[in-house]
Amino acid sequence: MNEPSQTGMQRAALEVHDLSVSYHLRPVLWNVDFTVPTGQLVGIVGPNGAGKSTLIKAVMGLLPATSGHVRLFDQPLDEVRQRVAYVPQRTSVDWDFPTTVREVVLMGRYGRLGLFRRPRRADREIAEESLRTVGMAEFADRQISQLSGGQQQRVFLARALAQGADLLLMDEPFAGVDAATESAIIELLRTMRREGRTVIVVHHDLSTVPDYFDMVLLLNMRLVAFGAVEEVFTNALLQRTYGGRLNLLSEVADLMHRQGRHGREAR
Amino acid sequence: MRSITSTLLSLLLLLPFAACGEKESTSGRLKVVATTGMIEDAVREVAGDRVELAALMGPGVDPHLYKASQSDLALLTGADIVFYNGLHLEGKMVDALEKMARNRRVVPVAAAIDSASLRRPAEFQGHPDPHVWFDVKMWESAVRAVERTLAEADTAGAKTYHDRAAHYLRRLDSLDSWVRQQIATIPRDRRVLVTAHDAFGYFGRAYDIEVRGLQGISTVTETGLGDISALVEMIVSRKIKAVFVESSVPHRSIEAVRQGAEQRGHRVALGGTLFSDAMGARGTPEGTYIGMVSANVHTIVEALR
Amino acid sequence: MMWNELIVIIGSSLLGIGSAAIGCFALLRRRALAGDAVAHAALPGVAVAFLLAGKNPAALLGGAAATGWLSMASVDAIVRRSSIREDGAIGIVLSVFFGLGILLITHIQAGGSAAQSGLNTFLFGQAAALLPEDLWVFGGVSLVLVLGILLLYKEFALLSFDRDYAATSGLPVRRLELAMTTMIVLAVVSGLQAVGVVLMAAMLIAPAAAARYWTDRLPVMIGLAIFFGIVSGVAGALISASGRAMPTGPWIITAATACVLLSMLFAPRRGVLARALRRKRYQRRAEEENVLKAMHHLGERDGRPMESRSIDEIRAVRPFSSDQLGSALRRLLGDRFVERLADGRWRFTAEGARQGERVTRLHRLWEVYLTEHLQLALDHVHDDAESIEHILTPELEQELQQLLDHPAVDPHSRSIPYTGSAPNTTEIRSGEEPE
Repeated sequence: MNEPSQTGMQRAALEVHDLSVSYHLRPVLWNVDFTVPTGQLVGIVGPNGAGKSTLIKAVMGLLPATSGHVRLFDQPLDEVRQRVAYVPQRTSVDWDFPTTVREVVLMGRYGRLGLFRRPRRADREIAEESLRTVGMAEFADRQISQLSGGQQQRVFLARALAQGADLLLMDEPFAGVDAATESAIIELLRTMRREGRTVIVVHHDLSTVPDYFDMVLLLNMRLVAFGAVEEVFTNALLQRTYGGRLNLLSEVADLMHRQGRHGREAR
Repeated sequence: MRSITSTLLSLLLLLPFAACGEKESTSGRLKVVATTGMIEDAVREVAGDRVELAALMGPGVDPHLYKASQSDLALLTGADIVFYNGLHLEGKMVDALEKMARNRRVVPVAAAIDSASLRRPAEFQGHPDPHVWFDVKMWESAVRAVERTLAEADTAGAKTYHDRAAHYLRRLDSLDSWVRQQIATIPRDRRVLVTAHDAFGYFGRAYDIEVRGLQGISTVTETGLGDISALVEMIVSRKIKAVFVESSVPHRSIEAVRQGAEQRGHRVALGGTLFSDAMGARGTPEGTYIGMVSANVHTIVEALR
Repeated sequence: MMWNELIVIIGSSLLGIGSAAIGCFALLRRRALAGDAVAHAALPGVAVAFLLAGKNPAALLGGAAATGWLSMASVDAIVRRSSIREDGAIGIVLSVFFGLGILLITHIQAGGSAAQSGLNTFLFGQAAALLPEDLWVFGGVSLVLVLGILLLYKEFALLSFDRDYAATSGLPVRRLELAMTTMIVLAVVSGLQAVGVVLMAAMLIAPAAAARYWTDRLPVMIGLAIFFGIVSGVAGALISASGRAMPTGPWIITAATACVLLSMLFAPRRGVLARALRRKRYQRRAEEENVLKAMHHLGERDGRPMESRSIDEIRAVRPFSSDQLGSALRRLLGDRFVERLADGRWRFTAEGARQGERVTRLHRLWEVYLTEHLQLALDHVHDDAESIEHILTPELEQELQQLLDHPAVDPHSRSIPYTGSAPNTTEIRSGEEPE
């Protein structure tokens, strides 16, 4: 895998300053402000419609911000695009498109190639390596419609790996994915964290938050809380984030109580 | 609130009816509308200034494809008499004309022609060829129909109409003889008229000249490659000297035929532009029926002789 | 061959090449009807150009291109700024522009200029009347289109597959979309004179749609689409040349449509026929295996597996129709799983007995799996096993046996036969996927 950039010790992978986003004149994100240090696994959670995907898309420049700004590695997005990989929701793409697994992963290299150039041998090797890392090497020539949900997610991840990014922004990577794939992916993310990369994940399953993430961002149109999981992932703050959904939350709270805070490195 | 809305709606619905009311006669003259320029010319000759006359289709307009616009409908509604060709020449105006016939005199001038003398080409499935104005003698029947209708509608002017018509018909008679004589000067083996569409059937029959069109009777259909090849074959094998384009039909297909013949080593000239479904510009000699026919004949004879 | 025919064949092939290539991307981006919109939107452009510059062909085509281009920009704007999807936006734009065009053409008609004849053929085309200068135009346009696609292939592919990722990768997405739109406009407008507005849309979509049935690889799809584009042009021209009153443009489109229909029917994996055949094959195999199972049951019952059986005896165990049973037995005979005796009775061969045992084993193993691992009730497992037994592969069978730890009996307390489950599985038919 490509090594992370060694341009000195940047303390922040992502800084979001007072970001507001509207969709068709309706505010969806309200003055969101937070800073993510490098080398963290961050989960973004919140109820449906909280603006989690919107936040990721706005950071990636896919949606216009009505106010506020974003800095990645202390720079505007356009300067550091190669270092930031976007992993969209699986459902955002038509998997019936006539292309193979290998070709999709190779797309991760296009940003570096620029217009008109063909991928070189080095690019293809990097793509192969990424496929091996996610365990999809034997499926390289398969058409993507023949893949299961978990396999599709791995392909997306391989694409982001091939890009050689230091920061990954992932939108619901564990949705509709089998257990084996989920644990494989989280292992991979942990490896990336060990390498000093940063991963920010929009997550939907509260029960796994304490296990998977170092930091959590509670979002419901506005930032409710952001910080280390131990401090922020509390009953009280979750209630504030989710409003009236108490049953689920008490279950989760019990879980946390029973598990304690250890068991995060297990599996 | 509801009553205001319904009142407004009813007023809106009544609006079109207000439009087709009585026409105000500015001058007391009969209002006459003709579809094609040829018919307009005939009415002009017979009626002179005694009627207010307008035509729907100007020079260069293809009557097979012509669709009536809103202003046309206004013109037609305001008319006392509407003259059209009939025999489905104005193919896309049939509905409009039928509607008009309910409240005013709507006269198909070609209907005055004896049905037995109409051409019924095989490809047209027995429907008659509508291009009747190219046989000058036949066109005289149309002129007489115009005169009759005008005389009925405006009995006061009957004598004027009759005299003018008689004078015009004499001119048409001389035209007819002249055309016959002119065409006869073309040597028989070269006497073939090739045009874009089959508009000159009556002309050919009346004046003893063979006529070949690329497209059929109506310009609505599209040419086929087989038709082009067949025409090229004929031109080359019979060594035709010239082919003709028409003012109201695109020149492309005849150009393709011409080049096709050239490729086979036979130079065929572009004989000129003929007026087929429409006449020339207003104010020019070709803008009148007699002028148009003469111009056509000059062009044909020059090129083929 | 006549010169005119040659010109039309070459011309429509050249036209087909460019339209098919860019049509693939329009199809994959779900903008298949973009060609239709551009073609219809050309009408007001032609009218305005005529009003300004007379019947100058370059001006008319330029006008067509301008409004065609404008229509695509309008579609994009509508999709971006409202909740209307691509197909609705295309429909709206198509109608509005075309209506505007009719308005202008009618106005021109009333104006009385003698030169305005033939504006109508911009709508319907005269494919039979192609001239050498048209070939230069078509060839040039197709060259530009194919070169453009070659140069920007990876960009177009990524853009069509995952627009968001393309944007985040730093690709200039808006400009690429602009390029694609311009190429569509170019393709459509250059073909207007040949096949006309109404049919140009088909030249964009049909070859691409036909190609899609044959392959899952994009480069192959583009190549095939080009092939179909050429075939349609050539076939349409030849057919229309073979007789009188056979308009060329419509015949080209008919040929293209025939390509689509034939592809739909006969394409090897996605085609209707292929699917039906696969289904049929699966059904027949299931029937054969059911017969083997029935014969095995008879053997279990009287303890004599190699005993001969009559048709009626077999039917008593399992209700086959006599036709079904007869043809299944014949096929099994061909596979040498059964023998037919002189008195009309049927008997297992050694291999057939093994097969009968295998299917029975699979059925019972699966029942065990369902009851133990999925906790299904006893009376619910039989039907499931009836289908699953035909598709379990030898590998899956091994996995099942290991997972269930080689059970001796099934949930209905019938013993599970293992004698034939040695790994000399060369003759065992592995499961093919039914459709």
